[in-house]
Amino acid sequence: MAVDQRRPEQAARPVPDAPPQAVRGLLEHLTSTSLDEDYAHVSRRRAAAADAQPSRPDRPGRATAVLAVFGVLVATAAVQTSRDADASATSREALVDQANARKTQLAQRRTRVQALQSEIAALEASGLEATTDGRAAQQQLTRLGVLAGSRPTEGAGIRVLVDDAPDAPSFRQQVQAPDLQKLVNALWLVGAEAVAVNGQRVTSLTSIRDAAGAITVNFVSLRRPYTVAAIGNPTTMGGRLLDSAGGQTWVTLQSTFGLGFEVETVESMVLPAARRLDLRAARAPGGRR
Amino acid sequence: MIAVLGLVLGVALGLLLQPAVPVWLDPYLPIAVVAALDAVFGALRAFLDGIFDDKVFVVSFVSNVLIAALIVYLGDQLGVGGQLSTGVIVVLGIRIFSNVAAIRRHLLHA
Repeated sequence: MAVDQRRPEQAARPVPDAPPQAVRGLLEHLTSTSLDEDYAHVSRRRAAAADAQPSRPDRPGRATAVLAVFGVLVATAAVQTSRDADASATSREALVDQANARKTQLAQRRTRVQALQSEIAALEASGLEATTDGRAAQQQLTRLGVLAGSRPTEGAGIRVLVDDAPDAPSFRQQVQAPDLQKLVNALWLVGAEAVAVNGQRVTSLTSIRDAAGAITVNFVSLRRPYTVAAIGNPTTMGGRLLDSAGGQTWVTLQSTFGLGFEVETVESMVLPAARRLDLRAARAPGGRR
Repeated sequence: MIAVLGLVLGVALGLLLQPAVPVWLDPYLPIAVVAALDAVFGALRAFLDGIFDDKVFVVSFVSNVLIAALIVYLGDQLGVGGQLSTGVIVVLGIRIFSNVAAIRRHLLHA
């Protein structure tokens, strides 16, 4: 019992004969013992022995040798570090070279894909031209291709130029993706055969949406002003567009918020094919699978 | 004076020969250099204090280098090589700084 009562008192007070590193902080200990204690120890011992024996001769050879080793060590480390730096720079250059080589390869492959695709198209056309059935199929293919956006389409039509209001301070005065959607849908409604926004062909798989402050069509970000081109009857489409709900929306946008909205007829223009259309389902003519 | 000549000779030798360091030794070389630096500054301070002893210097130099390399090796085996290297560098760095401070007091009396 008596022992238990004494314990807290002991813990609070340092033990008088504890070694210095036990009571000092680590950093303090490090600083105060930065010189190896051996030097002091040896010199004390030598001082004690000096009376009995003559002091031994100075031999600087060993220290010199160790210092030489130290020099070699330092020089080697420095040389090694600079050599490593060279190696890492070399590997970086090698990577850049590799990336460039692959880029060139990719470009070559793309060119080859294009060449092969046009070859396929030519073979397809020549094969279909040979028979009556083939010619009918070719015509159907062309018609469907125009509507699906799988082939470039040429013809007359109208071009609608839309833009933000000048110095548009608020998003209300900027063209938004839903506005473009309404315009494109209105163009389909008034009889457009093919539609493209800033050269991006609109197909049944196209999305027109906002992405990070830019309008994205076919996953390609577009910059203002926007040109919506539609192939169809140039004499009637413009008038019918202004009568349609989508056209009315744009007339309101123009008068209320000052957005740019301009319709012009075009004698002839070419809309590019959609960049990518995957074949999802196929059927042989006559219903055979 | 002769000792300084030895240092110069060693550096020149290292630069001239450029010995190839084996890959397994590569991580331990920098820490060995720092440990050797500590031993060298300790020796310089002892020299200025008038208590330099070449035997102590040789032993402290070799043991410093070996122990520093050993600690890093152990750390690498345990997966804490980076942290242990940092610890060794901190301790040796503090010792080097306080030794250099003592040398400065000797040389400049300030």
